Amino acid sequence: MRHRGERAPGPLATLRPWLRLLARRRGRLAAGAALMALTLLSAIGLLALSGWFITASALTGALLAAGMAASLDVYVPGGGIRLFAVTRTVSRYLERLYNHDTVLRLLADLRARLFAVIAGLDAQALMRHRASDWLNRLTADIDTLDALFLRLLAPAGVALLAILGLVGLLAAWAPPVGLALGLLLLAGWLWLTLGQARLGLAAGRRQGADREALRGRLIEQLQGLAELETYGSLGHHRREVEALEARFYRDQRRLGAWVALGNALVTLLVGTALVLALWLAARAWAAGELSGPLAVMMPLAALAMSEALAGLPAAFTWLGATWGAAERLNGLAERSRPAAEAARGEEAPAGALGVALERVSLTYPGALAPALDDVSLHLAPGERLALCGASGAGKSSVAALVLRQLAPSGGRIRLGGVALADWPEAALRRRVAALTQRVDLLDDSLAANLRLARPDATEGELWAALAWVDLDAWAESLPQGLATRVGEGGRRLSGGQARRLALARLHLLEPDLVLLDEPFAGLDADTVARLAPRLDAWLAGRAVIYLVHQLTGGPFDPPGVDRALRLEEGRLGGYT
Amino acid sequence: MVEGREATRQAARWLAGLAAAERRRLGLAVVAGGLATLATLGQLALLARFVDALLADGRPPAELLLPALGMLALLALRALALFTQETLGQAASLRLRTRVRSALLDHLARLGPAWLGARHSASLASQLVEQVEALDGYIARFRPQLVLAVIQPLMVLATVIWLDWLAALFLLLSAPLIPLFMALVGMGAERLNREQFAAVARLSGHFIDRVRAVTTLQLFGRTRAATAEVHAAADDYRRRSLRTLRLAFLSSAVLEFFASVAIAVVAIYVGFGLLGYVDFGPAPQLTLFSGLLVLLLAPEFFQPLRSLAQHYHDRAAALGAARELAVLFEAEPAAVRGETPVDAVSQGGLMELAAATVTHPGRGRVLGPLDLRLAPGAVMAVTGPSGAGKSTLLQLLAGFVGPGEGSRRPGEGVRIAWMDQRPLLIQGSLADNLRLAAPAADDAALSRALARAGLGELLAGLPAGLDTPLGERGAGLSGGQAQRLALARVFLSDASLVLLDEPTASLDADTQARVAEALAALAGEGRCLVIATHQPALMALADRRLALRDGVPEAIP
Repeated sequence: MRHRGERAPGPLATLRPWLRLLARRRGRLAAGAALMALTLLSAIGLLALSGWFITASALTGALLAAGMAASLDVYVPGGGIRLFAVTRTVSRYLERLYNHDTVLRLLADLRARLFAVIAGLDAQALMRHRASDWLNRLTADIDTLDALFLRLLAPAGVALLAILGLVGLLAAWAPPVGLALGLLLLAGWLWLTLGQARLGLAAGRRQGADREALRGRLIEQLQGLAELETYGSLGHHRREVEALEARFYRDQRRLGAWVALGNALVTLLVGTALVLALWLAARAWAAGELSGPLAVMMPLAALAMSEALAGLPAAFTWLGATWGAAERLNGLAERSRPAAEAARGEEAPAGALGVALERVSLTYPGALAPALDDVSLHLAPGERLALCGASGAGKSSVAALVLRQLAPSGGRIRLGGVALADWPEAALRRRVAALTQRVDLLDDSLAANLRLARPDATEGELWAALAWVDLDAWAESLPQGLATRVGEGGRRLSGGQARRLALARLHLLEPDLVLLDEPFAGLDADTVARLAPRLDAWLAGRAVIYLVHQLTGGPFDPPGVDRALRLEEGRLGGYT
Repeated sequence: MVEGREATRQAARWLAGLAAAERRRLGLAVVAGGLATLATLGQLALLARFVDALLADGRPPAELLLPALGMLALLALRALALFTQETLGQAASLRLRTRVRSALLDHLARLGPAWLGARHSASLASQLVEQVEALDGYIARFRPQLVLAVIQPLMVLATVIWLDWLAALFLLLSAPLIPLFMALVGMGAERLNREQFAAVARLSGHFIDRVRAVTTLQLFGRTRAATAEVHAAADDYRRRSLRTLRLAFLSSAVLEFFASVAIAVVAIYVGFGLLGYVDFGPAPQLTLFSGLLVLLLAPEFFQPLRSLAQHYHDRAAALGAARELAVLFEAEPAAVRGETPVDAVSQGGLMELAAATVTHPGRGRVLGPLDLRLAPGAVMAVTGPSGAGKSTLLQLLAGFVGPGEGSRRPGEGVRIAWMDQRPLLIQGSLADNLRLAAPAADDAALSRALARAGLGELLAGLPAGLDTPLGERGAGLSGGQAQRLALARVFLSDASLVLLDEPTASLDADTQARVAEALAALAGEGRCLVIATHQPALMALADRRLALRDGVPEAIP
């Protein structure tokens, strides 16, 4: 959130990264705009040439009727009219198809870019944003940005081209008509684009935020209905929802009125251009500077301009919404991970990695109390430390810090004697592995999920990893074997299978430091009894941090704990 | 499929019924649209008259100032009429959307917390926002245009018949095709919408799947590869959806084609007629005026249909939303509530249940028959395995569900407070959150309540004190703090009966103990507590225990 005092960057600066993304496809954009222009040209040509033809026919017919010799070549204009009728249809069809293709390509670019931004977010931003409504909001913003080319840039550019083309054409025959129309239409174009954008900018930009505020209040009301009802404060809360809705709609009404105004102005502008062209052409005709059919063609060409201008007011009045969407997406990019910009430092020498946290503290933005308060701990290479504590005590925060998914608010972290911030990203990911509390599985095959850990693993290695967690027999029994899809979030696996798959994934790596969050959660006692010795053996020679609720001394305790520390409300409570 | 079509028909009926409530505004919008067409007709007639007088009669431009000014006047009228049409449509849409949202909120309040508890609030909220907003284009633009698409071409056609019936015949020839166009456009738009929707859902699914796993992708250093995959999936979607688009766009191309060809045919007919090449019918009577006007009117004949085609996706979007909203409107509360009369007032007690049962449709009886009497100062623990009816009992006591049989008798003037695992945290200050329970409480009372709930230390450490803002949905508070804040609300309220549904289920042992202390203090104030819990620390507070199994009390060993 931006503070009121700071000045937000203007729409152009905000949209710049997205415009740059568009520019990568400038060839296609130009071709799409050219097709739009061809459609428009055919529409103008059809009406203008028809007017010319009818007038010429009437004048020739009158001469013939009066018994005078006159002739009119009907084949060229007739053919032209038919040609324009066909090109208008065909180019419109091709234009829609081609430009939708372009827009879908842009959508792919936008989504990939957005994903790259999300992939760079720190742990805290991700935790906060995991909700599905946040994702819906993101995709809505992307769709809004998608309008940038098809609704804003292309129509405005094509309309400008059409105006210049029309003016040039008219000026060739009657310079005063061309000049007058040019001034009028250009002034109109400026208003319909920049003027309308200026009018709606603030209200359009507010729409996104107001919609989210309304959604937030509605979620409160639905989630907290029990309390609101028993305390008798439902009516009060409901009035707040209504006030928000009223504000949201006040802006919409304003924007709608401005769009209607812009549309009315298009009518006025085109109509005025028509009357002006008619009047000036009539005077030019009277002065003998212009033939009758050409004098009729000019106002008709002006009339056809309404097709070029019709979409501009609605698109540009709502420019603020596009601005707001770009602003939110840009804001997301500002919250990237501490070292997503791949630090180019050194890495520690090979072998097990020690970890040192020195007086580390961590406060999440907006939190009332720190998540970690003055935590110091040392893990020797090859040591296995158990970090105990209730959920919310700060274990995950320690893990996120060591995994460099968060930066500490204070204190220093060293990994293998090297400041963590200096580690190159690739080396860090290769040498430090983690089993997270929540097992993330992709909606993809077993093999693809295993190969997340090591893309070049052979089938034999995958089977070996599965055998290590006793999943090989189960996988062999599946008709599709390693190609079996695990379903959304691994839904087709049981919790225990998912956990073991995550362990198998870890086994494909050769890390020097391993963080394991409740490694045996969700497994039955027999499985744990079989897996614990294998895990113990695999962990030999590596440094290990276990994150557990508490050690019970029973079979579910992780193997080979050398030392245990207890975290309570972000403070290290000492040995247990 | 048939079922789907029936649902669509129902949704269309619902939408039409909705629009009927704004009949006046939408009717006036149509009138304004008709007026705009009249102005257009007049304006084009003056244009043709001007040209005819200038070229055919050879009158100097100076004598033709009047028709030129007349055109400008009609132009202003037309602009005004169009502005009115658009703003009226929008006003109708805004009013209807407000009304639908309000009706939905009323309905959800009637369904009550017990019904809502089993739903995902965020997706319901997005129905209340997005699906209600999706009705906009249909009401504001499509409805009026649907009528205008019939009226406006007829007005144009009548003028053309008067000018030249043969030219009118050319236009009319395409008139029987108009319903066909509309069906074609509609089918195209609807199919497009349906297929797009399915494809977009698949694509979003892929995207969301990758975003959900992003932490893991980060830890394996695989984000770059996943980004490429997201791009590839979107590109694959593009290739597949272009195949449908190729067909879908054909339908509107047909409309465009007929409009273009009609203009070309009329132009060539008029031109040849004026040259005297056509001896048939009214052609010899064609003048520059009538010929030019017929030509100018030809595009106007098709324009309303083209506008309708443009608004067709508004209809498809509204229909989709209406189908889902209808499902919500038809939802019935899980058990009758509020409809059973209060049989009698409990004498001296806070609440009495007499042979009360709760029945859920489809699940049968989930609670009771149960007799219970709660007196001031009593602390009762309700225990039992999950699904035994603990929450249902609390909901019955709170009045969120009603007794199917038997009766629930609240004591005279009894006030109830509710607290569950997910306390309500509204966006606003600490004070705003507390005043939910007592709007008139002063700051001293708020501080006192916080202190009693064990949050005095936290408050003391906040520079902004009670005015400290809590982030969206309580960001900034830990789970234990949020729970104690809800407790502070109970302290602040004058509730004599406090219902607590597993209030400490997600807290660690220390925090649980602190909450238990605060609950003991509540009981010490003479309030009656009913606590559904598994936890020994809370059970220890109770002077009564009700063990439930399958909805009925179990003998306590």
